[in-house]
Parts: sequence; C-alpha cells; structure tokens
Amino acid sequence: MGRQALLFCALAGFALAVLPCHADSLPAAIDKFITAKASGTLAERSDDAEFLRRVTLDFTGTIPTPEEVRAFLSDNSAQKRAALIDKHLAGDSFARHWADRLSVMLLERRVLGKVPEEDWRIYLQRTLRGQPRWNLMVREMIAATGKGEVRPAMKFLGNGDQHRLTEDIARLFLGRDLKCARCHDHPSVDEWKQAHYWGLFAYLQQTKPATHQGEKKVYFVEGLATKKIDFQSVFTEEKKETGPKLPGRQEVAIPKFEKGQEYEHPASDGLPAVPRFRPRELLAADLSSSEHGAFLRNSVNRFWFLLMGRGLLHPLDQTHSENPPSHPQLLDLLQREFADHNCDLKWLLRQIALSESYQRSSRLPEGVKEREPKRYRTAHPKGLTPEQLLHAILRATGNDRVLIQVQPPGAGKFDRRGYFSGTNKNLPHAYDDIRAIFVETFGQLAGVAEDDFAPGLNKALFLMNDRLILHWLEPRDANLIARLRKLDSPDAVAEELYLSVLSRVPTSEERSEVSEYLAQFTDRRDTALGDLAWALLSSIEFRLNH
Amino acid sequence: MSSPCQPHEHALSRRRMLGMLGGTAGFGSLLQPAIAREVVKQNKQVCLIWLDGGMSQYESWHPLPESQFAGPFRSIKTSIPGVHFSELMPHSAKIAHKISVIRSMSTKDPNHSTGVPRMQRGDPVNRGVDYPYLGSAVAKLLGPANPELPPYIWIKPGNGGFIHREAGFLGAQYGALALGDGQAPIHIHRPDAISAQHDEARHALRKKANERFKAYRGAAEIDAYETSYEMAQQLMARKDIFDDGKLNPRDRERYGTHPLGRHILRARGLLEAGVRFVKVNSYHWDTHGDNFNMSQRLVPQIDRPFAALVNDLDESGMLENVLVVVMSEFGRTPVINSRLGRDHWPDCWSLALAGCGIKRGAMVGATSKDGAWVEGTGYDVGDLFHTIFTVLGIHPRRTNYRHQGQKLAIAHDECRPIEEVML
Repeated sequence: MGRQALLFCALAGFALAVLPCHADSLPAAIDKFITAKASGTLAERSDDAEFLRRVTLDFTGTIPTPEEVRAFLSDNSAQKRAALIDKHLAGDSFARHWADRLSVMLLERRVLGKVPEEDWRIYLQRTLRGQPRWNLMVREMIAATGKGEVRPAMKFLGNGDQHRLTEDIARLFLGRDLKCARCHDHPSVDEWKQAHYWGLFAYLQQTKPATHQGEKKVYFVEGLATKKIDFQSVFTEEKKETGPKLPGRQEVAIPKFEKGQEYEHPASDGLPAVPRFRPRELLAADLSSSEHGAFLRNSVNRFWFLLMGRGLLHPLDQTHSENPPSHPQLLDLLQREFADHNCDLKWLLRQIALSESYQRSSRLPEGVKEREPKRYRTAHPKGLTPEQLLHAILRATGNDRVLIQVQPPGAGKFDRRGYFSGTNKNLPHAYDDIRAIFVETFGQLAGVAEDDFAPGLNKALFLMNDRLILHWLEPRDANLIARLRKLDSPDAVAEELYLSVLSRVPTSEERSEVSEYLAQFTDRRDTALGDLAWALLSSIEFRLNH
Repeated sequence: MSSPCQPHEHALSRRRMLGMLGGTAGFGSLLQPAIAREVVKQNKQVCLIWLDGGMSQYESWHPLPESQFAGPFRSIKTSIPGVHFSELMPHSAKIAHKISVIRSMSTKDPNHSTGVPRMQRGDPVNRGVDYPYLGSAVAKLLGPANPELPPYIWIKPGNGGFIHREAGFLGAQYGALALGDGQAPIHIHRPDAISAQHDEARHALRKKANERFKAYRGAAEIDAYETSYEMAQQLMARKDIFDDGKLNPRDRERYGTHPLGRHILRARGLLEAGVRFVKVNSYHWDTHGDNFNMSQRLVPQIDRPFAALVNDLDESGMLENVLVVVMSEFGRTPVINSRLGRDHWPDCWSLALAGCGIKRGAMVGATSKDGAWVEGTGYDVGDLFHTIFTVLGIHPRRTNYRHQGQKLAIAHDECRPIEEVML
C-alpha cells in the first residue's frame, strides 16, 4: 500500500470514528433531517467536557466526578463517546435516574393509590436494569391487577379514578390533551372529539379497586360491561353512545354472553367474579401494540424531548393538525424504527445520543444571537430536574454519602414545613427528607408536567441561604472543600474546583479570578473556597444541562 | 404553555414585570397583557382577611336581636343611621360609613373541604382545570405592584414557606410566599456565618460566572435566572417589612396583640411596601358548639384590627386603591343547636368590603326578618369575583387565561358584578 492509500485509510478511519455510523444508520438519518431544515449555521460539535457532562446528566442523573472528567478528556480513543453511552446505559445509575424520569412523567408527582413510592421505584428500576421495552411497560401498568411480583405496576392506576386515567392515557400515551372533550368537542382543536374521550373512558368504565377480604389488600378488578356508554355535549341535546374505542381505531364490540356465562372465574378470595370481557386489558394491549402509530409516535416524541429538550412535536400533548411536528419525516422514521426494534427504550436513547444533533454544542455559532429551538441548530439547554440538581450538588461538593443516609432509628419524622418556616432548626439527615426538600423547592405542583426551566425567587433564596448547602460547603472528610484546602497553588485549586463543579477545565480568566479571590481573603481561606464553589453551584451553567 | 401571542422581544420585560415569583413557564398565558399592564400603573392592591370555619353573621354584621334566632348579644348603632352591627363589633360600627356590607350572600357549598376552595377560586364554570385561588389569580393578572416584592404574600398561623398549591393551573410560580405566624420564611435570612461583605463578594463571583456563560449562549432564560437572584436580594434587603421590632407599639395596641391583630398589622406594612395581594388567615371560627362564648372571644379579634386597618388606609389615602375583604366560606345557621352552637349556613350570610372602588356605607341585601333567607337577589361567590376583578380594573369578561391552548374565563360566565356596592 502506498503512502497515499495509507493516508486515505487513516483519514477514512478518522471520519468513521468521529461519525461512528454509516450513512443509512439511524443517527446519521437523524442528522440528515435536522441539517436539511436547519436553514442557518449549525453549532459546532460539543467539546468532550460538554458532551461528558450532558450525557452523564441525561443517562445517570448526576454530573461526572473530577476523575471521570480527567479520564475522559485524556482518553484518545476514537470510540470514547459511544463507549461512554454504552457504559451509562448498562449501569445502575441509569435505572435509578430513569425511574425518576419515568415516574415524574407518568405520575407528575401526585401521591397516588396504595402502592408505596418505594415499591414503585424498585419496580421501575428493576425493569430499567434489563432491556426495557416501553410498550410492555405501558401494557403492564394499564393492565395491572396488583397480583404477583408486578404488583407495583398498578401505581399508575392510582385510586382508579376513571376520568383521571382517561385524561392521562390520552395525554401521556397519545399526546392529546382531551380534558375539554369530556364535556364537548374540543373548542379550539377540531379533530379532538368528545367521542374520543368517551371511547377511551369506555375501556376504563368497569375498572375499580377492590379490597381482598382476607388479605386486606387492594387489587384492581373489572366489573361486567354489558352496554355502550352514553354521553352528551353540554352544548347540544343530542345523545350519543360509544363502546371502547381508541381514536382512529375500530370500536371494540361488547360481546353478549348467555346468562351465567359472563364470568371466567366466580368470585373468590374475597374478590368479585372475573368477567370474560375485560376492556381495560384490551386497552392495555391495543394501546401499546406495535401497530398503533399514535402511541409509537407520542412515545418517540417524549423520549426525544427528554434528551433534546424540545419535542419534534411541541407541546408534547398537542398532537393535531394545527400543531404539526417540526420534522415530520424524522418523526415517521423514529416511530417506524422504534416499532422495528420492539420499542426497546435503551436502543432508542442510544440512537438519539449517538447523533451529531444530540452531540452539538449549546454555544451559539458566531454571529447568532438567539436560539431557535425547533431548528436544533444548537443543543437546547435543559433545566436540571430537582433530583438531578440535588445529585449534582452532592457530587460537586463531594458529599455523595448523603445518598445512602437514612433516618437514625428512633428519630421522629423530619418536620419539613418547620424547616422552611424556621421553627425546625435541625438539618435533615435522611436522603429521602433532603430529596423531598429539593422536590418541594425546585419541582412543579402535583399534576403539572415538569417540562420547562422555570427560575424563581424561592429557588434563588434556597441556594443562597439554605443551611444544608452551606453545610455541604464546609470542609469535612474528603469533600470538595476539604480537598481544595490541601492544595497550595491557586491554579490547582481552580482546576480541581472547575472539574468538580462545572465538569470542565477552567479558562485562564477563571484561573486568575480564583487566584485573585483567594489572595483577597487570605484571612478566611476556607470560606473563600466555599464562596468560589457556591458561586459556581449557583451559576446558570450549573443549573442547566447545557 | 402555548399562546398565539408571544412576541419574543417582550419576553424579558414582561418576565421582569411579573416579578419572578414566576419564571418562563406560564408567561404569555394571559390573553390581555395590555390591560394588565395598564392596571399595574394604577397600583390596585388587595387585603383578603379569611375567617376560616365561618363567622356567624348574627354575632357580627347582621344582628337581629328581635328575631327568634338571636343570640344573647345586643345590637349597637353604627356610624350610619339605622344600621346596626353586633355589640361585639364596636370599632367596625364606628367606620360603617367607610365600608360596604353584603348581607345577602347566598352560596352553595356547606362543607369546609370543598367550600373553602370553591369560595377562594370564585367557582368558575368547571373546565376540567384547577383554577387558582384569588391571590394567585391576582398575582397572575396584575403582576407585582412593587417589582421588588412578590405579588402574593399569605400571612397564616403555623408554618410558612413557599406554598404553591393555591396556584392551580397557573403553575408553582404563582403560589404564595407564606409567612408562618407573620414571620418570613427562613430562606429570606442570610445565615449568620455570612457577613454582608462576604455575601456581596460571593454574588460578584456568581454574576461574573453567569456573564461568561451568557456571552456564548445569550438566551432569555439566562436573564430570567439572573432576575430571580436580583429579586431574592431585593426581598432580603426589605426584610424590615417582616420585622416585628420595627412596629410602632401604639399600632400594636390598636390592632390587638392576638395573632389576627398582629397579622393584620403586618398586612398593612406589606401593603404599604407595595405587595399586590396579602391574604390573612384566621382559623377556628367553626362554632358548632358554644357559639356565643366563642364569638365573644373571636369577633373582637377581627373587629379591632379591621377597623384600625380601614382607618389607617383611609388616613393615608391608600384606601382609594386597596381593596379590603373580610369573609369566610359560609355563615352560620339561624337555628341554635343543642350545644349552643350554630352550624354551617351558606344560604344567607354576610361579608364586608372596603376601599378601591367599593362604596362607602352601602349596606346591601334584604333578608327575611329572622335573617335565615335572602329576599330578592342573593349573591354567589361568582358575583363577588366579578366585583373584585372589576374594581381592580380587570375586566371579568374580556380577560381570559390561556392554558394549553384553551381560553379560560377568569370568573363564572353567568355571574355579574354587584353594582350596589360599587362606586
């Protein structure tokens, strides 16, 4: 082989390494569609530190350790980004973080039903540790009866409120906010009909919780469905009826049985008889079927949103012709491929993360003043969720131990309200209490989607004045401040500080700032170190997954 | 979330105007921003005094000593000839000519658990959303009166903090800064370990970090984030408005040293400082047993500070722009039960209004002689909300919320303002 050929191979190898996918792979196709509609300069590829922080936050819910940053920056392997994605997808942190993400998406921080929060998390995490198939997860949750080891799946059914379930299923799994259609056809979206609402409702109408007499445990059962459901618009006199029906799909015929033949099992164990015809079970199967385009489309759009910060169809629950997707062909393709890959969640996330579109820098290209989110010319910065923020602060300040702290035996319940009003002077110790404080401060109201970055007065006050934050910034064990105080040179301090908190190397301007600040406050070096760390924790750069 | 009119250029100024209890979410979700802006100039403010459990109208605004349902208290003359209040309200009787009383409230819900939210949400037609309580609604519709202070502060017994459940679909940012027993939440206080100079130094670092980040990303959310810190610092700088030590001892005596008196005095300070909406809660008005001893203890606790507040606002000229409302979720039964109590009675009860476009000295509403039933027009809470919005300069029909593409009336579609109490 001549020199030129060798050079060519080296270059080709390099190109393949940078874009680790050949032309017809899904990540390449994503990039093709995004580029075609960019109509403007695309941002550069993220640098390694930006990528590492982003992917670590997205896949594990926290920021990388300074050692991980150093290792990744000095890794010369051409495949290191793909390798990192794969490592994260296989890890336990993925299961923990995505259990949080899915739980917040599905329950919107409502306290629902009889399944303890803890059991629900464990259930989600167990599924996410393996090869989670989204359609099967959804099917399991909607068909849940509470029996067997998948009992916690019934958390989604809550207290069995059929209207909440109708609305949530329409919104979360079909991308349609049909709330208004309960009483009449949607006032502003022509294609959302009252019949859509009641068609879905008809699947759930017979669903109810029942308490097992012996076990005193709640299960979900279905009563006998014998006829269609009547509904009437508040604006008209006309009465209508529908059987179980998904929008745009065939209505399910309600079978007639001979008297005495309606039940599969008689009442037993203190639970009522089990009918042969169980519409909720049918809904679970039909909704999540790999033939069901609306479900698949909404699913890929939501997962795209979670990684990209903006849905291809946005707002996520406004699926109708007046709100077309920004990239319809891409959405088609993702939908098709997701079905072809058995709704494999990790596969989908991996494909998106491998794309250059995901890996683009959030820095605006030269000369560009504002982002145009639907064009994806830059990465779209996402606000950290309350859980991500807590975990990132713990990681940055070197206080990861908090994650395993529990309430000491015999200690009473932590008075959270008193903590906020100042009557409770104790610091919370248990991770669960600390998480609840962060969720209360940085989260949304129960029942409201957390899909926007919303700064707020109380959030700023919390980061400024909360005693826990200051507590974590006091030198202790091997935490950040304890590590920093051992470093003599301001330059070493700056480097360790920036790697730990912002997961990147400081610029020369930032190095001199650190050095000057330390020189200014030699009389209180420990708290000056705390200030430097606090300023970065409170900075917008930390608050965003950029 | 979505609105047809979201001129991107206006994002920042409007966000700043909304004062950042809020954030980016929800901004633009109002259909009449022009109207809202206009009203900001007028500096209308509200003080809602909520007597939770239900104050007895017989022992307060509507004594009927001749009626078969009368209790043991006499009625006394007020500053309006021919109008009487209960003798438990001597101070309010002296300012009757400055306030309006509606004695023909006829609401629907006799339960606390549903009645309180119904009354504080104004009972709009059910459109499948959780409507905001009045304080959050006004915070949304008018924004802060003083951009340095949060638009909605709630003074309540017990614990405080940021309580966002009243914001409904408007989202957490329209919730209340709650002062537990009148005290500011703990996070308003800079911990002792940090001196003022020290704090300034660390904020300078923070700001520089943000400027560096913004240089490459220049987006509105970064400004919104910085604004939230500015707001926090401004509020901390005004900590004096939460400081009992700054209160005039003479005022303390005039308002009363019981919690409701202290809290209404605190409310006056907050109104003076420019807080748009102040709610003061008082509990334990649910006098199912021993109504008369309880009323004798409780009613003076609202009488004294309410009269003092109205007088003070009147003297300072603020009453022109500050609406004061004293109400409960319902009144109490005419019939005295076997435990000498009165039970829940939404059918015919009284509330008081003052200031900000409310007539002085209007006593509204005819009832049966025994006070049990409204004769003629009864008013529901929807009418009250139309009245409140109208006097605040918010057109109750032309103004709508916009929530996820849906237009939502701010008050019940079929109700009307109560003209008899309006100037």
